[in-house]
Amino acid sequence: MIGRLSILVTALLVLCGLSLVNAQYQARSQFIELERAQSAARQLDIDWAQLQLDQSTLGKSSRIEELARGDLNMVALTPQRTQYLTVGEK
Amino acid sequence: MTRMPPRTNVAPGRVAASRGVAFSASPVLKVKMPAWRSRLVLFVLFTAFVALAGRALWLQGMSTDFLQKQGESRYARTLELPATRGKIIDRNGQVLASSVPVKAIWAIPDDVQEAPKAKLVELAKLLDMSGAELRKKLDSDRSFVYLKRQVEQDTADQIVKLGIAGIETRKEYKRFYPEGEVTAHVVGFTNVEDAGQDGMELGSQKTLAGMTGSRRVIKDRLGRIVEDIEAVREPHDGRDLTLSIDSKIQYIAFTQLKEAVEKNKAKAGGIIVIDTHTGEVLALANIPTYNPNDRSVLSGEQLRNRVLTDTFEPGSTLKPFTIALSLDTHRVTPSTVFQTAPGKMTIGTATIGDAEPHGALTVAQIIQKSSNIGTAKVALQMPAQEMWEMFTKVGLGQQPKFGFPGAVAGRVRPYKSWRPIEQATMSYGQGISLSLIQLAHAYLIFARNGDLIPLSFQKVTEPPVGQRVIAENTALEMRRMLETVVAPGGTAPQAQVPGYRVGGKTGTAYKIVGGKYVKKYVADFVGIVPMSDPRLIIAVMIDEPSNGQHYGGTVAGPVFANVAANVLRALNVAPDSTVTNIIIPKDAIEESL
Repeated sequence: MIGRLSILVTALLVLCGLSLVNAQYQARSQFIELERAQSAARQLDIDWAQLQLDQSTLGKSSRIEELARGDLNMVALTPQRTQYLTVGEK
Repeated sequence: MTRMPPRTNVAPGRVAASRGVAFSASPVLKVKMPAWRSRLVLFVLFTAFVALAGRALWLQGMSTDFLQKQGESRYARTLELPATRGKIIDRNGQVLASSVPVKAIWAIPDDVQEAPKAKLVELAKLLDMSGAELRKKLDSDRSFVYLKRQVEQDTADQIVKLGIAGIETRKEYKRFYPEGEVTAHVVGFTNVEDAGQDGMELGSQKTLAGMTGSRRVIKDRLGRIVEDIEAVREPHDGRDLTLSIDSKIQYIAFTQLKEAVEKNKAKAGGIIVIDTHTGEVLALANIPTYNPNDRSVLSGEQLRNRVLTDTFEPGSTLKPFTIALSLDTHRVTPSTVFQTAPGKMTIGTATIGDAEPHGALTVAQIIQKSSNIGTAKVALQMPAQEMWEMFTKVGLGQQPKFGFPGAVAGRVRPYKSWRPIEQATMSYGQGISLSLIQLAHAYLIFARNGDLIPLSFQKVTEPPVGQRVIAENTALEMRRMLETVVAPGGTAPQAQVPGYRVGGKTGTAYKIVGGKYVKKYVADFVGIVPMSDPRLIIAVMIDEPSNGQHYGGTVAGPVFANVAANVLRALNVAPDSTVTNIIIPKDAIEESL
């Protein structure tokens, strides 16, 4: 009786040990996955900042004015050439 | 089966055992040894055990810390978690300053010396320096030499790929300023350590900088992080700073100012645009300026933020405050007449004068024609203390609280020491000094129907509560007078804006060099637009115009008009006047100095 019980307990112990090893393995691989995701997030943050910077650099007023005047031959608006409309006016 | 024959050559003991002789009967026991031998063995064994126990105690008890540290250092690593410096953005989300990770390249000179020549040549090329320069840097006794800082990521990767022993990289940040020289004076700049040095970068250093964090981890054979040992100290990135600046308005102001400074061959210039509803600074520009992305050659002249740090005698732009005080205390009305003829007036031993005699002028005309004598006569009706209180209330001579480094207080002398002549000259802005931003701020009382709100360089979400300085009616009367200044017959018809009703005041003053007035001028103009419902205050200052013109109306007035026209259009402010065709009279009234 006692002999069987101890075999059972031994088997349980081995199983527990194996599941612990498995759990530890899982935890580590998940952790590495998390690390990877976090560093990817950081990289995306950096890329986002870089893109915002690019947007500002490309969209700065002096460049727009240069392009508008030079490439597109646009001129500034003056009130003399503006027709103002008032809402509700007949 | 036969039994094995007895072996004859085996030891007697074994023979005895195999024959089943009892242990106690073993003949070996019969040999009598001296008693000290067994004691000696016992003693040796005992000391050995004591030595072991002592060693164990030593390792476990005394040097455990050291050993644990040694063990830990083989698998645990402390990682620094850098915090990114916050971005500076304008009120519409446009980035004005942003940090991008870059690499610092450093070397251990002794190790690098052994590298092959060809690789060093390549390294020098990547670092954008000559071979001789590189060799000079490497020829050092120190064990750590920066080769180049703030190297862009791509270049740094290429350098690492060269695989030269002793060349290492370190992560750092580089600050980029996309708007460059246009926003230089407001935004400021940082040094290589990413710490603010000037402008808002310095003023908001604490919130922008953030806090670096750290974490202790276990790394495996491949260098991957396996586990956190301690709680992670999270890094706190610096907070983004939203300025009140509108980069479009800033650009308009900057380009117009630059043009005017060049046209008038002036030494310098400054401009500021304020939103009258919120007290936000929408634009602030100075000429000369600098490019914050490339600060290899910088002079103090370029760095100076004149709008905030330079004081000057404002001249006639201060007259409206004297007149407003007099109106507010019911000493005069806009139609009260003062005799300014013959254009000269002696107070005590000194004589003051107008540029041209005007004869009898109403209070409104005193402002329109900018008469010194008229203003002085109005001022001399009032006690010095009241005038001083007025100046102080609108912030003159007071240390400004804009959250901007380097802002100066200007100077208003205590009223007790004012002599009548000084009170008279101060009433038209001489003998008093202030910065352009203080002047523009003070004009808020006219634009805001009598109350004053603090200025802000950061975006304001809730309009601040104002502090009343003059009555609403006084402010309205003053605005009507200021409008006549830009009308034909005033000192600044050049400041008219097509489609909008505007008002403002010109100022021209001699500069003081070494405590004496010299024949150099500061021309300024402060204007309010649109008059029907003031939205903006624009103040312009041109330092030492030297191309024939030096009056506020002719030098600073047009800058105001151009900026106002463009900014009102950019802000979609509806025109409040039908006059779109502006004719500037040739004989504008000259300002009194």
